[in-house]
Amino acid sequence: MGNGIRSPISFLILLALLFPLTLQISAVNYPINVWPKPTTFSWPKPQIALLSPKFEIHFPSHPYLHRAAKRYRQLLIQEQYHPLVAPPLNLPESPALQSLIITVTDKSAQLTHGVDESYTLVIPSPSQSTEAAISAQTTWGAMRGLETLSQLVYGKPSRVACDLYIYDEPLFPHRGVMLDTSRNFYWVADLLRLIKAMSMNKLNVLHWHITDSQSFPLVLPSEPELAEKGAYGEVMKYSPEDVKKVVEFGMEYGVRIVPEIDMPGHTASWAEAHPDIVACTNMFWWPAGADLSSRIAHEPATGQLNPLASNTYKVVQNIIKDVATMFPDSFFHGGADEVTTNCWKSDKSIQAFLAKNGTLSQLLEMFITSTLPYVISQNRTVVYWEDVLLDANVSVAASLLPQENVILQTWNNGPNNTKKLAQAGYRVIVSSAEFYYLDCGHGGWVGNDSRYNQPPGTDLGKGGSWCGPFKTWQTIYNYDITYGLNEDEAKLVIGGEVALWSEQADPTVMDPRIWPRASAMAETLWSGNRDETGMKRYAEATDRLNEWRNRMVTRGIGAEPIQPLWCIRNPGMCNTVQPYVPN
Amino acid sequence: MGAAIGIPLTFLLILAFFITLSPQISAVSYPINVWPKPTAFSWPQPQITLLSPNFKIHFPLNPYLHQAANRYRKQFIEEHYNPLVVPHLNLTSSPPLKSLTITVTDDSAPLTHGVNESYTLTIPSPEQSTTATLTAETVWGAMRGLETLSQLIFGNPSRVACDLYIHDEPLFHHRGVMLDTSRNFYGVSDLQRLIRALSMNKLNVFHWHITDSQSFPLVLPSEPELAGKGAYGEEMKYSPEDVKRVVEFGMRYGVRVVPEIDMPAHTGSWALAYPDIVTCANMMWWPAGVDWTDHLAAEPGTGQLNPLSPNAYKVAKNVIHDVVSMFPDSYYHGGADEIAPNCWITDPEIQAFVAKNGTLSRLLEIFVDSTLRYIISLNRTVVYWEDVLLDASVNVSPSLLPPENVIFQTWNNGPSNTKKLTEAGYRVIVSSADYYYLDCGHGGWVGNDTRYDQPPGTDIGDGGSWCAPFKTWQTIYNYDITYGLNESAANLVLGGEVALWSEQADSTVLDSRIWPRASAMAEALWSGNRDATGRKRYAEATDRLNEWRNRMVTRGIAAEPIQPLWCIRNPGMCNTVHPFLAS
Repeated sequence: MGNGIRSPISFLILLALLFPLTLQISAVNYPINVWPKPTTFSWPKPQIALLSPKFEIHFPSHPYLHRAAKRYRQLLIQEQYHPLVAPPLNLPESPALQSLIITVTDKSAQLTHGVDESYTLVIPSPSQSTEAAISAQTTWGAMRGLETLSQLVYGKPSRVACDLYIYDEPLFPHRGVMLDTSRNFYWVADLLRLIKAMSMNKLNVLHWHITDSQSFPLVLPSEPELAEKGAYGEVMKYSPEDVKKVVEFGMEYGVRIVPEIDMPGHTASWAEAHPDIVACTNMFWWPAGADLSSRIAHEPATGQLNPLASNTYKVVQNIIKDVATMFPDSFFHGGADEVTTNCWKSDKSIQAFLAKNGTLSQLLEMFITSTLPYVISQNRTVVYWEDVLLDANVSVAASLLPQENVILQTWNNGPNNTKKLAQAGYRVIVSSAEFYYLDCGHGGWVGNDSRYNQPPGTDLGKGGSWCGPFKTWQTIYNYDITYGLNEDEAKLVIGGEVALWSEQADPTVMDPRIWPRASAMAETLWSGNRDETGMKRYAEATDRLNEWRNRMVTRGIGAEPIQPLWCIRNPGMCNTVQPYVPN
Repeated sequence: MGAAIGIPLTFLLILAFFITLSPQISAVSYPINVWPKPTAFSWPQPQITLLSPNFKIHFPLNPYLHQAANRYRKQFIEEHYNPLVVPHLNLTSSPPLKSLTITVTDDSAPLTHGVNESYTLTIPSPEQSTTATLTAETVWGAMRGLETLSQLIFGNPSRVACDLYIHDEPLFHHRGVMLDTSRNFYGVSDLQRLIRALSMNKLNVFHWHITDSQSFPLVLPSEPELAGKGAYGEEMKYSPEDVKRVVEFGMRYGVRVVPEIDMPAHTGSWALAYPDIVTCANMMWWPAGVDWTDHLAAEPGTGQLNPLSPNAYKVAKNVIHDVVSMFPDSYYHGGADEIAPNCWITDPEIQAFVAKNGTLSRLLEIFVDSTLRYIISLNRTVVYWEDVLLDASVNVSPSLLPPENVIFQTWNNGPSNTKKLTEAGYRVIVSSADYYYLDCGHGGWVGNDTRYDQPPGTDIGDGGSWCAPFKTWQTIYNYDITYGLNESAANLVLGGEVALWSEQADSTVLDSRIWPRASAMAEALWSGNRDATGRKRYAEATDRLNEWRNRMVTRGIAAEPIQPLWCIRNPGMCNTVHPFLAS
C-alpha cells in the first residue's frame, strides 16, 4: 500500500458528467447494496470483477486516513463476506481490480460538526481500468467512501461490484447514538465496538452519557474522589487513558465523542464524594402516600446539585475543565434534564431561599448562568436537554441561553417540541422518545411492582415501560425529524440520536438493543427514508437491512435479527399488503 | 476424586430431626442464596469456611453422575465467584471443608418425566466435620444438589457456606424451555449452552421445536431430502451426530430433550422435498383484500400436510420413526397447532372431500388418528398443542385422543384453557402466551407494515406484537399455573415451559431473551413464588435474581440485566411502594 497521490480527476469528471445526468435510478433494485443507501448510486449494467489479493490503496498522507486505509485494505482482502442472497452475477474473464486512489481536497479539515463528509466513488469496468477512485473534500468523507467500497466487496475469492458511480453526502450533519454508562457500566472494549459499528453505518457522533445518579465512572484528575467513591467499583471506571483510547479510536473511525455530564439533576452519585453540594441524597425516590408529581426523583436514586452551595461551582468547574481537556470535541453536553422540584424543596437552604420569594426556576437559572459561561469560555458549544427551556415547572429564560452557544436536544412530545425549540431559534438534535429511545417497551424495572401480580386477564396496556411500546426498526426508519416544520425551522434541525438508557441494558445486550435499529436511523438521516417518487421506502429497505444486519454480525456486532431468514430468501412474501387502521 | 461411598447417615438423621422440626424459615434473608430458592433451607447461624483446594467428591458409580461430579468439582475449586454484594461473614479459623459424599438410593432411575429430583444437602460446621453430604433418591436429584452446593461457594480463595441443612424438591415435574430452531437457526453450541443454563436453574426439559414452515434443519436418515432441500443451508442443519451430542449433553446435565416435529400445519418447508404432500405452499400468507380469518397461514411461510395424500403418511411415519430413534425421551411432541382452514381449502382434492360433506375437522382427525397410533406404538407419550382439541374451527374429538397417551400444551387464554383441558381429563403443560412467551413485545416483523408509518401522535397501542406487552421477569414469576383449578384439576398440571419463537431471535440474542426470565419460572415451578406466609415474594426475589443473573453472566450465559447495579447495592431503594391500580 503506497502513499502516493495520483490524479484520476479527469476520468472522474467525465464519469460524473455522464452519470448524474441520466435518470435518478436509486430506487432500482441492485444485487449488491450499501447501507445507508447512497444518495446517488449509478450502476446501469451491474457486473463484478475479482478484487486483486494484492489490492493497494493510494492515499494522501494523513495519520487517521492512513490508519483507515490500512484497516479497510485488510477488510477488503480478508472479509470474504458470504451474502444471504448470492448476487446473480457471473465473474467475467476481465482482469482483477488492482487499486484504489483516494484524493482529498482539504486534508486539514477537522472532525467536527458540519465537516464535509461527501465523497465520490468510481469503480470502472476492469476492461477499461483496474483502478477505482475515491475523491472527497475531507479525510472524513474519504472514510465514508472506504466504508461504501467495503460493502461492495464480497465472496471468496473477493469480488467487487464494478462499472459504477456513487456520489454520496449526508442529509444531516449530526447522526449519533447516545449510550448511558452510569445505570450500568460498559467496558472500553464495548465502547470501541460501538464506535466501529457506528462507522460502518456512517454515523458520526457517540454521545456518551457518562455520569448519572447511579454511578460516576469517570476519573477526573482534579476531582478524583468523584469516581473513587461514586463509581460502581475499582474496575468499573474510565481513566483518562481510557478516555484517550476512546477519543483516539473515534478519530480513526470518523466518529466524534461528545461527553455528557448531566447536572444539576441526575447527580446523586456525586454525593458519595461531596455530600455538601447535593440535595435530597439517599432519600426514597417516591415515598409512600405521595403523588407521582411529588416524587423526589424520576426514578430510583435521588440527588441534585444544590445551586446555593458555593462548593458546587468549584466542583463543577473542575469537572468542566477536566472534561474539556480530555474530550477535544467542540460540543459539551451539560444535561440539565428532569430537575425534580421536590428534591430541591427538601433542602433547608433552598427552603429559606424560597421563603424569601425565590423560585426554583431562579435557582436553575443561577446554576446555568454560573456554569454555562465557563463551558463557553472553554470554546465549547453547549448541548442541553430540552427541559432547561421547556420544562413546565423549572426552566430557564431563553435570554440566558444564547442561540449561538446552545443547542437543545429534544426527547418529549415528538415533533411538537422540535418545533417549539426551532421556533425559539435554537439548533435542535432530535431524540424523540416516541421514535428514538431504544430501551422502551421492555416493561418496568422497579422492584415490588404489583402491576405484575394482577389477576389473569388484567389489561396491562403498554406493559409498564413509560415510553412503551418497543420502537421497531420501521418506527425509527419512518420518522421524519423535521416533520411539521417550515423550511427555516427545518434548517435548525442538525440531526438526531437514538438513545440507549441502561436501566435494563449493559454489555450483555448492548449490540442487539442498538443494532440494527440505529442502522435504520443512519439511513434516514444520511439519504432519507423515501424513494425518488417521495414514497417511504421501508418495504424495499427490509431485505437490504436483513442483509446488512447479517454482515454486521459477521463483522462481530451482535445485531438482532429482524425476520426469519426465510424472508430475504422469499422476497416480498413476508410483507403485509393490508394497510393498518388505527383504532 | 474417588468413587467411595461414605455413610454419614446417622449424622444426617440427627440433623434432619433437629432442623426440620424447627419453624419454616425459608423467608429469612440469607447472605448467600441459591436460585431457585430451595424448599427448606435452614441456616440458623450463617457462617462460612474455606473450601479446600484439594476438595474431593465421593459418589456412587454412574456414568452421568461421574461426569457431573467431575464438572462440579472443577467449578467449586475454580469458579471464584465475586458476588455483587459481598456476604458479611468472617472466615473462621476452622479447618476447610475437604469433601462431599454423595449417596444415591436408586442409581438406575432413568431421566424421565416424574423422576425423583429431591436431595438433601448438609454442610456441617467444620469444627464438627469437614465432610459435606448429599443424599438423593436418584443421580438426577444428586445433580440438583451439586448445583445447589456450587451456588453456596464464592470468593478467592473459595469460601463455602456451612453449618446448614437443605432439603429440596420441585413443586412441578415438568420445567422447561421451548426453543424454535426453524424460523432462525441456532448452532449446536448454542443448544448446549442453553442446556447448561437450564441445569443451573434446575430446569429439566429442553423442548426443541425443530422444524416449521420456514426451514427443516433436521437431517433424517430415512428422509434426507427434507433437510437436504428444506434447511436454510448446508451448514444450517442438525445431523444425527449433532442430535446425539445434544441428547448426551442433556443427560450429563440432567435435562431431557423433547423433540417437536410440528404437523400437519407449519410444514411449508417440507414442500421443498415433497411438493405433492403439502397444500398451499409458496402462497402469499395473507392475500390483499382478504379478511384476516381467511389467511393461508398465521404468519408468512404457508404450507400444511395434505391428510388425503397417502404419501404424506409415508413421509410422516419415516420422520416419526427416525425422530424416535434419535431422541430417547419418552415424550414426543407432535405439534398440531394453528391449522389454517383456507390453506387446505386451496387444494382440489380437499375441495372435493369437503364437497362430499367432509369437514376440515374430519380431515384433521384422519391425520391425527393415523399418526398418533404410530407414535404410541413406538412407546411414546404424545404432546400436542391445545389447538388440536380447542381450536374453534378445526379440531379433533377427544375420543380419538386417549388421555393416557396424550398431553396438551396450552398457550391461549391464560388459565381458562388450562382449566378446559384439565376438565377434559388431560395432563397439561402450561405455556400461556400471556405469561410465558419470551418473544412478545418486540413489535411486528412483517415487512411493508404501514402501522409504523403513521402520523406522529398516532396511538399504536401495544406496538404490533400480537402477544404484547413484553413479559417481564416479574410477570413470569408471579403467574400461578394452577390458577383457578380445583385440587384434582391442579394435579393434572405437569408443569410449564417458557417459549422462545424465533422470528426475531437467533444466536445473537438467545441468552438475553431467555435469561434471566426463564430463571423466574424456574423458581416459581421449583419452590413457588410465595413466602412462608403465603405472600408473593417477588420483591424479595429481586435482589436474589440480580445476584443470580450476575453469576450466570460470569458462567458464560449472557443474561440481560434487570436493574441498574445501584439497586442491589441499595436494598429496597429501587422498589415502588405504590400499588398498581388497573384502569
